[in-house]
Amino acid sequence: MEMWSIFFLIAVVSCLGAAAWLVFLWAVRSGQFEDLEGPKYRMLEDDTPVDRGAEEE
Amino acid sequence: MRRGGLQVGGGPDGGRVLCAHCLSEIVREDAVLDDAGGETVPFCCRGCLAIYRLINGEGLGDFYARRQGWRPGPPETATADPSLFSEVVRQAGAGMEADLLIAGIRCASCVWLIERALSRLNGVEVVRLNYATHRARIRWRPEETSIEEILRRICSLGYTPKPYTGSIYREGLDRERKDLLVRFGTAAFFTMQLMLYTVALYAGYFQGMDPLYKKAFQFISWALATPVLFYSGHPFLRNSLRGVRRGLFGMDVLVALGSFSAYAYSVYAVLTGGEVYFDTASMIVTLVLLGRLLEAGARVRAGEAVAALMTLQPKEARLLRKAGERRTDDSGPLTLPLREIEPGDVVSVLPGEKIPLDGLVIDGVSEVDESMLTGESSPGRKQAGAEVFAGTVNLNGRLVVEVKRTGGDTVLSQIVKAVEDAQARKAPLQAVADRVVRWFVPAVLSVALATFLLRFFFGADTAVLAPALMNAVSVLVVACPCALGLATPLAILSGSAAAARRGLLVKGGDVYERASGVDCVVFDKTGTLTEGRPAVTDVVVTADGWSAERLLRYAASVEAFSEHPVSSAITGACREPLLEVSGFRAHPGLGVEGRIGGGRVLAGNGKFLSIHGIGFDGSEGVYEGFVSAGKTVVAVAVAGRLCGLIALEDTLKKGVKEVVGSLGRMGAGVMMLTGDNPGAAERIAGEAGITDMTAGVTPLEKAGIIRHRKSGGAVVAMVGDGINDAPALTEADVGIAVGRATDVAIESADAVIMNGRPELVADLLGLSKKTFRVVKQNLFWAFSYNVIAVPLAAAGFLHPVISAVLMASSSLIVVGNSLRLART
Repeated sequence: MEMWSIFFLIAVVSCLGAAAWLVFLWAVRSGQFEDLEGPKYRMLEDDTPVDRGAEEE
Repeated sequence: MRRGGLQVGGGPDGGRVLCAHCLSEIVREDAVLDDAGGETVPFCCRGCLAIYRLINGEGLGDFYARRQGWRPGPPETATADPSLFSEVVRQAGAGMEADLLIAGIRCASCVWLIERALSRLNGVEVVRLNYATHRARIRWRPEETSIEEILRRICSLGYTPKPYTGSIYREGLDRERKDLLVRFGTAAFFTMQLMLYTVALYAGYFQGMDPLYKKAFQFISWALATPVLFYSGHPFLRNSLRGVRRGLFGMDVLVALGSFSAYAYSVYAVLTGGEVYFDTASMIVTLVLLGRLLEAGARVRAGEAVAALMTLQPKEARLLRKAGERRTDDSGPLTLPLREIEPGDVVSVLPGEKIPLDGLVIDGVSEVDESMLTGESSPGRKQAGAEVFAGTVNLNGRLVVEVKRTGGDTVLSQIVKAVEDAQARKAPLQAVADRVVRWFVPAVLSVALATFLLRFFFGADTAVLAPALMNAVSVLVVACPCALGLATPLAILSGSAAAARRGLLVKGGDVYERASGVDCVVFDKTGTLTEGRPAVTDVVVTADGWSAERLLRYAASVEAFSEHPVSSAITGACREPLLEVSGFRAHPGLGVEGRIGGGRVLAGNGKFLSIHGIGFDGSEGVYEGFVSAGKTVVAVAVAGRLCGLIALEDTLKKGVKEVVGSLGRMGAGVMMLTGDNPGAAERIAGEAGITDMTAGVTPLEKAGIIRHRKSGGAVVAMVGDGINDAPALTEADVGIAVGRATDVAIESADAVIMNGRPELVADLLGLSKKTFRVVKQNLFWAFSYNVIAVPLAAAGFLHPVISAVLMASSSLIVVGNSLRLART
C-alpha cells in the first residue's frame, strides 16, 4: 500500500512537471518571450482586445 | 501632468498654450483653433488638427487621456512610398503579411493607438506592434485592403512606416537566443524535478533507505538527467569536441567534462551500486546556460545599436536633377529611394527634413542641427558652398544640395562601421575565466588520466577497473568547475547590484576588469560635463531708460516664435508675460526680428545688427569680452538703437569639479574632447579644472585620439552622451554613457550613468576595482582549493561523495565572498 502510493505520487508529480514543460515550450513557440516591455503597458488598457475589435466590424 | 486642450485660457505663462495633439508649446495667437466638439482646442499646425480629428473620429479619443511619458514635439510628416515595401510584403496563408518599422512612437499609448486604428480598417486581420523594437507585424486580406491603404493610415496618424529589413546577422542572434531559451527552460524544468529525488537520495544516504526505493529513485534521476545532458547540454558537447579537435580548451570543455564525467560515473553507479551525482551534472548545465542566455540578450541589444544608427538616415531623397543635366525639371522634385541617387545628383531638402546624403549646398540658406555628428551645441548656418552630412536635420530653410558621397562613404555610414568594428573586437563576457581555463582543463584531464593509469597498473589491486575509475572520477568531481565557474559571474552579479543602487548600469562582467585598470578618463563636453543647453548668464543694458527685465521681456517676446535653443533659453529666462508681436521673421544664422507696439525689435549676433546699420556705440568691449569668454551673445536693438546684450552659455553640471579632483587622486588622467569651438571648450575645461583638452574634433577623430592613447599603453574610459560619441565609446576600453544620452550612445557604451551625475564616474571606477579584486580572490581560492584537493583525490584519499561535499563548500565560500560586495 505504502509503496503503491509513493509510486502513484511520483507519476502525478511527473505529469505536472511535464505539463509545465509543455506549457513553456508552447510559450516560446508562440512568441510569448519576444516582447517583454510592451505587455506591462498593454495590461493597463481596459477595453476589448484588438483582434476581437477587428472581427466585430 | 500637462495635457493638451486644457490651457486655452492662457494664464501666467504669457499667452502660451500646448498643442492638443503633440503638446508642443505655441503662442496662443499662432494656434490653429478647432471648436467642432463644443470646446475650443488649440493646435500648433493643421497637421496636428487633422490627426486629432482622425483619432477622435475613430472613437479613439481615449488616447489623449491615457498617454503618459509622451515627448512633446511635432509629428513626423513623411509619406511612405509603397514601392519601397515590396520586399517586406509576403504571402501568409490566405492573406498577406508585412513587417514594418514604425518611427515616431513616443510612448506606450502610441502602440495602443496604432493597433486600434489599423485593426479598424476593413480587411486587417492581425496587428501586433512590439513596443521594445517598434516593429509591427500586420496581416491582412488582400481582396479587402492593400499595403497602400495601411501605410496611408499609419502616415495619417503622424507616424512614419519604414520597411523592416532585419539583417541576417540580427535574425541569427534572435534565433540563437530563442534556441538557448528552450534549452535553458528544458534544463531548468528537468533539474527541478530531479532535485526532488536527489533530496530523497541524500536523506537516504544519511538515514538509510529501502534498497528498492533507492534503485527506483536512481533510475528516475537517470531518466530526468539524460535530456538535460544530451539536449540542453548539446551545445557544450558539440563546442568542446570541435575545440578539442583544434587543440583549444575553453570553458565549454570544462563544463562538458564536469557534467559528463559526473553523469558517466553516476550511470556506472546505478548499474553497479553506489551513489549517484545526476544533480551535479544537470545543475552545471543549467547554471551555465542561464549565464549564456543573459549574454545573448546583451548581444541582441548591441545589434540594435547599429540598427538604430541606420534609421537616422532617411530612406528617400527629393531629386531635382541627375548629374550632368543642365535644366531644372519642370515636373518638380522626384522622390526616389536613396540607392538610386549618385554622386553629382542634385536634391532638395525641405525645412524639418533630414539631409539624406553628404554633399555641398549650392542654393538656399538654412540652419542645420549637426549635434548628432559633431556635438556642436548650436545649429550652424549653411549657405552655398557649405558641406552638409547625411542624418543631420535641416531646421528652417530649403536647401539645394549637390550630392558628393553616397552609400557606405557618408560620414554616418563610417560611424556605423566604426561602431560595428569596435563591437566585433570586444572581448566576450567569459574572457577572464576562459583564459585561466585554457590550461586548467588539460591539466585536470591529464591528472585524472594519470591517476587512472597509475592505479590501474601499479595500485594495490592491479588491473581492477572499479577503484581506478573511482579515483579518476574523484579527481574530475573535485576539480569540477563550480567554484571556478561561479567565481567571476557571482562577483559580477553582486558588483552590479551595488552599482544599480547608485544608479549605474553595467552591461557585462568584462567591463569591471577593464574599468579597474583605467588610468585615463576622456570626457565629452556638451551634455556630459555641461547641461547641454545654453542658459542666460548676463543681461547688460546699454541704453538709457531700459532695465534688464524690460530688455529680457522684449527679447523673449520676439524669440518666442523661434525654436532655436538660444531662443528657448531667452524665453525661458523671462519671468513676465510676453508682449504682442507682429511681423516676425527669422534670419537663419543671424537672428530674429519682429514688431512690438510699432517699434522694430532686432535680436541677433553682431553681424545681424551691422547688416541693419546699427552700431555698438561704445559697447564693443563688453561684446568682445563675452565672445572671447566663449559665450553666445544676443544683441537686442529696438527702433534702430542698441538697447542691451544678453549673454548665454552652456553651464557646467554640478559635481564635475569634484569628480575631476577625485579621479586625479585615484591616479587617472582626465582629458576633454569636443566637437565644439575652442572658445567655449576652453572656458568649460577651465571651470572643470581639466588641462588636457582638444576642441573641434570629428566623431572619428575622437575615436582616433582614444586609439592613439590606447596604443601608448593607457587604459582609456570615455564618457559621452551623443551619437557623435558612439565610435569613441566603443573604441575606448570602457565606454560610459551619461543620463539622457541618445539610444545609440547607450547601446554603444559598456556602462550607463542613469541619473546623469558625472561624479558617478569615480564611483564606477572605484567599484570596478573592488569587484575585480573579489573576482581575483575568488579565482585564487578556487585554484588553491584545486591545488590541494586534486592531489588528495589522485592519491585516493577522497571518496567521490566527499569530493562532492568539498566541491560544494568551495562554491559556498565563493558565494559568501561575492555577497560582501553587494553590501558596499
